[in-house]
Amino acid sequence: MASARRPTDWGTVGYRLRYVPVYLLLLFGAVVAVTPFFYMVSTSLMTLGEALTRTWVPQSPQWSNYVRAWNQAEFAQYFMNSVIITGTTIAGLLVTSTLAAYAFARIEFPARDLIFTMLLATLMIPETVTFIPQFLIIRGDIFPLPGGSWINTLQALTVPFMANAVSIFLLRQFFARIPFDLWDAARMDGAGHLRFLVSVVVPMSKPVMLTVTLLAFITSWNAFLWPILVTTNPTWRPLMVGLYNFMGVAGPETHLLMAGAMITILPVLVLYFVAQKQFTEGIATSGLKG
Amino acid sequence: MEKLQQGKASRPATRAVGRTGHRFGEKLTAYLFILPSVFLIAVFGLFPIGYAFYMSLFRWRIRKGGYIGFEHYSDLVGSWGAALAFAVGLAALLVAHWLWTSAFSREGLRRWGRFIVALVLTAAGVAIALGWSTMMREGSEEFLASLVRTLFYALGTIPVQIALALVLATLLFQKIRGKEGFRMIYFLPYVTPQVAAAVVFAQLFSPRGSSLAPGSLSPANQVLAFLGIEPQRWLFEPRPLLELLFGEQITAFNGWLASLGVAWQLDGLWLGPSLALVSIIIFGVWTYTGLNVVIFLAGLGGIPGELYEAAEIDGANSRQKFWSITVPLLSPVTYYLTLLGFIGSLQAFSQLYVMRTPFARDTVDTASILIFDTFYKASNFSLAAAQSFLLFFVILFVTITQQRVMGKQVFYG
Repeated sequence: MASARRPTDWGTVGYRLRYVPVYLLLLFGAVVAVTPFFYMVSTSLMTLGEALTRTWVPQSPQWSNYVRAWNQAEFAQYFMNSVIITGTTIAGLLVTSTLAAYAFARIEFPARDLIFTMLLATLMIPETVTFIPQFLIIRGDIFPLPGGSWINTLQALTVPFMANAVSIFLLRQFFARIPFDLWDAARMDGAGHLRFLVSVVVPMSKPVMLTVTLLAFITSWNAFLWPILVTTNPTWRPLMVGLYNFMGVAGPETHLLMAGAMITILPVLVLYFVAQKQFTEGIATSGLKG
Repeated sequence: MEKLQQGKASRPATRAVGRTGHRFGEKLTAYLFILPSVFLIAVFGLFPIGYAFYMSLFRWRIRKGGYIGFEHYSDLVGSWGAALAFAVGLAALLVAHWLWTSAFSREGLRRWGRFIVALVLTAAGVAIALGWSTMMREGSEEFLASLVRTLFYALGTIPVQIALALVLATLLFQKIRGKEGFRMIYFLPYVTPQVAAAVVFAQLFSPRGSSLAPGSLSPANQVLAFLGIEPQRWLFEPRPLLELLFGEQITAFNGWLASLGVAWQLDGLWLGPSLALVSIIIFGVWTYTGLNVVIFLAGLGGIPGELYEAAEIDGANSRQKFWSITVPLLSPVTYYLTLLGFIGSLQAFSQLYVMRTPFARDTVDTASILIFDTFYKASNFSLAAAQSFLLFFVILFVTITQQRVMGKQVFYG
């Protein structure tokens, strides 16, 4: 019945016409979503004259704009800084979160639920309340830090973000569903918790590990307020702060600014198109604004 | 499923097998496993919130100064009495809502209930108006105005992005060709780094093409030209949107008030957000609508298809199905997105910081921006800490209000 009905429905002109306004609305939304990207890419390939007169499409693409932005506006250094910062943060975060999530999910110990609840409560703390004391911590004003002040260091940009309740929560949810007979089998082989975690649990948990990685990547790559505070020179300045500073000095050279923005966005877009399903489903499942 | 059952069944056996020594070893392992995370979150998450309050009690400019107690707070709100009246007024609004939805829901008490609720609402309105005007006169107008602008931003972005997302998700959920493509495109603004997107939008919503090419129009103004509207100064425009739209009517209205001898005028913050702030609100809607679409799509997947089929048998059309089935059964998702959206937008920083211009003056300075400037530019650490704590209380109040008001309307099918 259903299969017989379908061709008939689609064959009806009236039925198909019902979808015209639906498609028009969806297409309008898509155009609105994409237009800023089109403007950015198009302008980034223009000559100075074209950029100034606000044409919409360059006569011939000027790929040299990217070379100039990369070299002259220090985007090469900012890019490498962001790669190192993000990579280091994600590595640290995965280690701390995996260990903690495993303990919360698989081992019973005193005050487990209380500690977990307190961790979740930190999700409610606004960044605007904590960044001031955090800055003093990083400056070494509150208690001494290894190596003195951490201003303008890699650790200032990575260590505070190597643990967060979101990652622990997501991993814990997944680890809690791993069958106990796997643990029994591992114990029969003489494995402890750490070996079981590394050899069995982590390999089984690639989907959730990827989700946590994506969320951490988005947060770290997008970091802006904090790097402004703790970097006063270009040594460890990340891309976002570099792009913002470039906005102030680019002046009328909109084409170079858009090339810089494209350099900033490209890694995220590549990652998104490669792992699009994981992006949407992982974030939709966690429902978290990363 | 079977594996899970098996796992659960074997768990008691595992526990029974455990020895005292083994239990102790397990506890030690657990504490060692959670130590790095808990330490980092405690140091950079929990400790700072207490220390921020401690800082706000001192005069602290770069270096720690003398103890001043709650002086920063009294400077910000001006009058404790006014702040208390304002807070009591807000609490009274919640009480009125509770009375109306709970205590007087029975038919017999409806008549008295209406009268009492009206009384409470009137008292609340008076307390809020008197409290607020006194605080603005005696306290930090700069800070209090930034709170108002923060609410403008939140109220401007959240309802619009959720409404748009609900419509788009509902359309997309039908048998649409290219559904995955649409979803991918809608999600694009969200995954794009916000600072970079804000840099692009700063160009889209500038007043004109460039100072070196006076005749050119920015993309936003090209759209206006297409619609037959004069170019606007967008991110450079400090005047309220309402003034730009209805300036003559507002002037006439204020003249009428003056002729009646009324001291109050419809101006300043009463006219709502500036066009500059509206431009940033548009950016906020653009950024987050797609995320909401994805989450609504997940929610739609959870609604039983039989409900729609039954409704169709009863002759319901698309609009009726939308309002009777889709909206009620998606209310948990809507509530959740609204809650998260408000918490996020009340703290919004990056897009405002990137897109603000000197020409718009302070009209896009939300509380987060002001706190940052107090700390980073004015180097007044303790005042910034006090301001951030008051913002925290505002966020808490808004969150509690939403839970009270919206929580009861959530329909769990």
